[in-house]
Amino acid sequence: MDYANKSLADALAAQYVAGTLRGPARRRFETLLPGHPGLRLAVAMWQQRLMPLTAVVVDEPPPAGAWPAIARRLWPEAQAPAALPWWRGLAFWQGASGLAGAAALGLALLLANPRPDAPPVVLVLQGTEAGGPGMASIVASVSGDGRAMVTRPIQPVAMAADRVLELWAVPPAGAPRSLGLISAAGATVIRRDRLPAALLDQRNTAALAVSVEPPGGSPTGAPTGPVVFAGKLQL
Amino acid sequence: MRAAQEDWSQRSRELGQLLSQSALGDRSAFKRLYELSSGHLFAVLLRIQRDRSVAEDLLQEVYISAWKAAGSFDAQQAQPLTWLTHIARNKAIDSLRRAKSQPRLESMHRDDDDDDRPDAVERLADDAPGPVALLERASDARQLGQCMQGLSASQRQSVALAFFDGLSHAEVAERLRQPLGTVKSWVRRALMTLKTCLQRASERDASFDSAEA
Repeated sequence: MDYANKSLADALAAQYVAGTLRGPARRRFETLLPGHPGLRLAVAMWQQRLMPLTAVVVDEPPPAGAWPAIARRLWPEAQAPAALPWWRGLAFWQGASGLAGAAALGLALLLANPRPDAPPVVLVLQGTEAGGPGMASIVASVSGDGRAMVTRPIQPVAMAADRVLELWAVPPAGAPRSLGLISAAGATVIRRDRLPAALLDQRNTAALAVSVEPPGGSPTGAPTGPVVFAGKLQL
Repeated sequence: MRAAQEDWSQRSRELGQLLSQSALGDRSAFKRLYELSSGHLFAVLLRIQRDRSVAEDLLQEVYISAWKAAGSFDAQQAQPLTWLTHIARNKAIDSLRRAKSQPRLESMHRDDDDDDRPDAVERLADDAPGPVALLERASDARQLGQCMQGLSASQRQSVALAFFDGLSHAEVAERLRQPLGTVKSWVRRALMTLKTCLQRASERDASFDSAEA
């Protein structure tokens, strides 16, 4: 079947979202979706058209046990009092540690005259699953006093023309704070007035994250696009 | 009365922030997201998957998928409630595929001569509206209202059965005692009519919406 045919693609997307595309055809359609941006767009448009119809279905409260069951399945370790978000989990960092060592070597070139009593800090923001394959990582180098920061992608990040990268400081609890837009191609010096007073205090900052945003940055003050890089603050 | 589509956008705005916090690993934000959306998603699941215990399992799977995929949710591309509802509908439709042998059609018959089928009715809330009634209620929405007028009664009925109750073309055809090809073309034409009409309506409303925002 010729999925490049636009009206056929649209008709299939309609049947898929409406639910009448069934069986092998539905499965085949779902396998094709990741590789066909046009098909994905058609599906998104049909979702936008049809899903609001479900607003008229009267809410049905799920049984009380449903949430605890979900929480148990998502976070089996959560019996322990301190629950760790995914970016603080061990597995995530096992991959990051190797790169961090290499990046630390390059730090001396980036930052001149670090204060002897407060060594500079390097964070490696690893590409997340949301960014897809080919997202290498971004190195954020912070001066020991936390007053200066430079970010640099290890390889240039391929971006859509109308999207930018925004850097966030993620506190241990609460909403992330924007540190501004960063270059997808080269080094960015973060504006000093954007940096919180005690950035390198783990009570204030648990991690740095980079999300994909529309030009000018997130319109809402919180990340709106996928988080494509993230790195935990380790001192 | 508030139009359904505006209400939909409003609910979505509340959920958007929670979803982006969830993407950063904030479990309490995700719990709040669950509290605000699970009633809707469970209702959507139950209309398609009438077996309550199966629907409960599906609900768990919906939120597990949502947590895992939260990082890839793109607020520029979709509204959060639209995204979540689509995940729920997909799981429900897939569950029908797995349990094909399970009889389903009788459960939605609520015709006048249907009173002797308490088992089917019991599985619904007492006042659960039929799919066509739902579609009529959806027509209260600002844009959808006029667009629904453009559909014939049989088109409306086919779309409602397929969309709300997850019936396949063949099942709709059986229900309405019509040839499969006829039902397929009713559904196809109904969807295309809706699309054209909604596009015109949203172009008309574009200036209104941007002023509102």
